[in-house]
Amino acid sequence: MKNPFARYILQKISWYILAFFVAVSLNFILPRLIPGNPVSVIVNQMATGGVQSDVLERLYSTYMKEFGLDKPLYIQYFNYLRNIFRWNLGTSFMLYPGKVKDLIGRALPWTISLQVPAILSGWIIGNLLGAFSAYKGGKFDSVAFTLSLVFSNIPYYCLAIVFLYLLAVRFGLFPVGGGYSFGMVPTLSLRFIMNALYHYILPYLSMVLVAIGGQAIGMREMSLYELTSDYVNYAKNLGIRDERIIRYVFRNAMLPQITGLAISFGTMMGGALVTESVFSYPGVGSLLFTAIRQNDYPLIQGCTLIITVAVLTANFLVEIAYGFIDPRIRAVQLGER
Amino acid sequence: MGNLLTAIDLRAYYKTVQGEEIKAVDEVSLEVREGEVLGIAGESGCGKSTLASVLAFTVIPPLYVVSGEVRANGTNILTLDKETLRREIKGKYISIVPQGAMNSLNPTSRIKNFVIDVLKEHFPEMSKEEALQRARERFEALSLPPRILDAYPHQLSGGMKQRTVTVISTLLNPKVLIADEPTSALDVSSQKIVIKLLVELLRKQIIKSVVFITHELPLLRHFANRIAVMYAGKIVEVGPMESIIFEPLHPYSKLLISSVLVPESGMKSKRIEAIPGVPPNLKDPPTGCRFHPRCPSYIEGICNTSVPPFITVKSDHIVSCFLYGGEHG
Repeated sequence: MKNPFARYILQKISWYILAFFVAVSLNFILPRLIPGNPVSVIVNQMATGGVQSDVLERLYSTYMKEFGLDKPLYIQYFNYLRNIFRWNLGTSFMLYPGKVKDLIGRALPWTISLQVPAILSGWIIGNLLGAFSAYKGGKFDSVAFTLSLVFSNIPYYCLAIVFLYLLAVRFGLFPVGGGYSFGMVPTLSLRFIMNALYHYILPYLSMVLVAIGGQAIGMREMSLYELTSDYVNYAKNLGIRDERIIRYVFRNAMLPQITGLAISFGTMMGGALVTESVFSYPGVGSLLFTAIRQNDYPLIQGCTLIITVAVLTANFLVEIAYGFIDPRIRAVQLGER
Repeated sequence: MGNLLTAIDLRAYYKTVQGEEIKAVDEVSLEVREGEVLGIAGESGCGKSTLASVLAFTVIPPLYVVSGEVRANGTNILTLDKETLRREIKGKYISIVPQGAMNSLNPTSRIKNFVIDVLKEHFPEMSKEEALQRARERFEALSLPPRILDAYPHQLSGGMKQRTVTVISTLLNPKVLIADEPTSALDVSSQKIVIKLLVELLRKQIIKSVVFITHELPLLRHFANRIAVMYAGKIVEVGPMESIIFEPLHPYSKLLISSVLVPESGMKSKRIEAIPGVPPNLKDPPTGCRFHPRCPSYIEGICNTSVPPFITVKSDHIVSCFLYGGEHG
């Protein structure tokens, strides 16, 4: 191929397709390694009414057939792959006859609107804080660095539980859980949006503080490294003012941070799992959590498929974006060396 | 011709975390004359680069200037505030070609952007196009291809990068250019090109003098006017280049010169000598003459008790050694 950039992109895409297949296969195998048969669980729940055993037997085989679990594993696997390409994610076991597609579709907006603002604001504030404290040094740096260290090392679910206990249960300042008040219907009315925002504060805080801390530490280290580099000293020796040098440093220190942002976006569905469970937030995380507990294969596969696609897309976009912001990487992409 | 830069009794120490002082530059006096190339030679760790950073005002902790003066135009520049230094001196009066020129350019920015920043910093009324035009002319005048300006640093070879940095350092026509081992990372042919560039800069009157710091004496042989020899934080001998190379006075200079190969006639029969012993630890330098523990002409009771003064032995050639006289306590 003549165009080296097109060749680079094609090469990357083929790697990502390979990675996608491996991930999708793992998504198929791993849920099936969880002990327990999902159909027996469903049938047992029905058995509580004292149904006769031959009826249960019939129920069991009907469900096995309905879900395609009576076929050998490799046929199940090929059916699974075929269905993915037809964008048919199947029917949930536990919420039968709910379609996995619809269940995820309903949960996704909640997760995205919880996570995207938290990730973005945490990233921006964290980077500014880190760069500023590296430049400023002294007392400001010690305080900011210590706080960042503390927050970034608290597991976010611990912070979530502490917030929930103190601010919601103990002092009753915020609701204990849910995405909106019980009995409300999701609409685009002002009343509903205010109510949703009120429920949003605690989960948001529990995530954003951890994000700020983590980003600030990374950015501070990178900026300190860049601030002592040869090109900074050289620019100083030619009488270039500090404000301009800070701009050089900020840009170069940002480069690794962009990867961090992309990874946060990619893993946000998985990262939401615990936060959403703690606050019983109606997002993909809560859905995945209950699905795993109930051995709901199609629902687990559906959620993990979304996560897989998100992670791979984010990584791919970062790789391409790097070429535009870092000329050294562009040189490699274009095969200049 | 006058002196562009005069160092008087400079002391610059590194302070370690344990609170110890490393006396990297101790009681150094030196002048840089207009129109000359002054070579500063010595082995690794003798304080050459530290002296360079003091002369170029690039002192960063843990290095501190303890005492002394650096005079330019009659003012002691060491007392100037940071902002005046940045506006009036750095890049304009004194400029530096750094030791690590390989990484001296911002890796994510085209060279022209940095060049524009340098020029606009000192001439704010200049437009970007004017700045670029001026840089292009300067590159052409020094026979460097102006397309370098559009390149990123990683696209240049080591020698090209070193020349580019040298040209950028002299964009503002500084009086004194301090070159700190600018050639030590280069192969011999690139070294020669960089030195030619420095000579060209002097000839075109873009710069008025060069302080060239190196551990390679043969390099100075080709273009230095005077040479100062440093040992363990002190200058031991200063004199005209020919005089230092062919008739060195100080026992250290003699050993230093006989330890390198100079491709001259008559060298074939000479033996290469290594200097016995190791350079002293500058935390606790030897008393008296700092070279006395390694000196073949060491005199007990004199060299280890008092510091030898500078004595003018030949015209313009001074040495700090008791072999040439001087009072001692």
